[in-house]
Amino acid sequence: MSDFDIKSIAKLASIKLSEDEQEKLTNDLSIILEHVQALSSLELDTNIEDVFIHPLEKELKLVEDIENESLTHDEALSNAPESKDGRFVVPPSME
Amino acid sequence: MNLKPTIGIETHIELNTNTKMFCRCKVVVTEEPNISLCPTCIGLPGALPVPNGKAIEYITLLSLATGCKITRKGMFHRKNYFYPDLPKNYQISQFDLPVGESGELEIILDGKIDSVEIERVHMEEDTGKSTHSGTGRIDSATSTALDFNRSGVPLVEIVTKPVIKSAKEAVAYIEELRQLSIDLNISEGKLEKGNLRFDANISVAPQDSNELGTKVEIKNMNSLRSLERAIDYEISRQTKAFLDGEEIIQETRHWDEAKELTSSMRSKEGSADYRYFSDPDLPNMILSEKFIEDIEKNLPKLPNEKRSELMDTGLALEQANILGKSDSWIIELYSEVFDKTKEHSSTYNWITGELQGQMRKLDINFPPEWFSAELLSEIIGLIKENKISFTSGKTILSEILQKNITVDEIATENDLYQENNEEKIVELVKKVINDSEDIVQRIKDGEDKLVGFLVGQVIKNSGGSVNPGIAKELLSKELDL
Repeated sequence: MSDFDIKSIAKLASIKLSEDEQEKLTNDLSIILEHVQALSSLELDTNIEDVFIHPLEKELKLVEDIENESLTHDEALSNAPESKDGRFVVPPSME
Repeated sequence: MNLKPTIGIETHIELNTNTKMFCRCKVVVTEEPNISLCPTCIGLPGALPVPNGKAIEYITLLSLATGCKITRKGMFHRKNYFYPDLPKNYQISQFDLPVGESGELEIILDGKIDSVEIERVHMEEDTGKSTHSGTGRIDSATSTALDFNRSGVPLVEIVTKPVIKSAKEAVAYIEELRQLSIDLNISEGKLEKGNLRFDANISVAPQDSNELGTKVEIKNMNSLRSLERAIDYEISRQTKAFLDGEEIIQETRHWDEAKELTSSMRSKEGSADYRYFSDPDLPNMILSEKFIEDIEKNLPKLPNEKRSELMDTGLALEQANILGKSDSWIIELYSEVFDKTKEHSSTYNWITGELQGQMRKLDINFPPEWFSAELLSEIIGLIKENKISFTSGKTILSEILQKNITVDEIATENDLYQENNEEKIVELVKKVINDSEDIVQRIKDGEDKLVGFLVGQVIKNSGGSVNPGIAKELLSKELDL
């Protein structure tokens, strides 16, 4: 069962796949999906808020809205391959 | 065939917190790029997000104010997509456990109270800002420049159910939501600064259909005017396509303000395309009963409550709506003056008309410290009792806004008290009649309009102190009219 399009998944993940890789990953993903499918046979009668879906069994800590020191402008831009007028410059982005 | 449009609105409200959502960089409003950044908000490897408690307080406040059910145990998800203004390649957002769900917002539509159902209220972070060099258009740019000052600023997204029926209703909804965010003091609420940004999902379907048509998302509307026009345009575009038998494609369209039309941007991603998954860096967010109760206790007066209180004084819905949107000192002033005068209509007119008009002329945002509800009540009272004219009331108000002086002092100094002693006025009237034989004859011959001239003469001879209504009444009596 492969009711997914490996090409569109590759596009969303922004990776290039060769024909061979596409075939291999389609097979692998199909097997994974089949395994996961087994979950749908479980009868779950649980309130979604009660399901602890998070891997960390810890409560989130909220912090106060108080400013901390940030990077300086130069530090922030120091790793940028290209910058201009204080801005990061990247290849043109198309939607 | 008659089609019915259905609209859902997604609004992003930029919260006015001091720092960003997941790091403690200051939220800055500046043209100077990249000055408030840290490893977290520019997505450097290893940086960990820590949520801003104030932002969670604010979103809870908004959720409660819109009657939403609060999710006690919520969580954050990663919404994955690639775009340069999103440095982590995912936006931290909320998926199936938003902070608030299933609420409603009261709105004013066509002079009546209505309401819009809210589907969800969730917390997320803003993106950076990109500038496309070249022509400024995305599709012909030669490079993209990025400023991440806005990256990570807390955003609340509030989504309505697909229940809005017209562009006008959408505008009324945004106006109300804007006012609510200002009254709750969670946002500046300035549309022109992008504090509130909205997208509309629009579809059309036959009147008798129980199913909604294919929805199209419209982006890039940055004012209420463009929201209204974009929706109207899109409804007629879809209606025409439907009637011509064309397929309506699920897509995102861009509102072009200059050309006044929407154009296709891209085919719309389904939510599966964002590959949401729980953010491993952020454990479950538990909102305790106490946290929620404390916020509930501090809920300020909501716009609908203010309106209803103002209507209790006798104001019409429209008046209550306008006054309710004013600064709090104006509403307080109204209540105090109303308590003294019990005159809802004149109090409303004096405050929203004269007082604010004169303050604009004087270029002041607040009345001077000596100004009080007592002074305004006194002016309104004197006019009601015919002791001063409406025009004199305006003069007194103007003086009071400029000098610390009593109403009586101004009225006496400028001889503004009207003569109410009937005998004295009758004397003046008789004198005018004697001095104007010709005019009196013409009035008797049928030129009624000339009575006004005689009234003017009486007022002139009295030095402006006679009430015109009384002068006219006594003149008519003397002339047997």
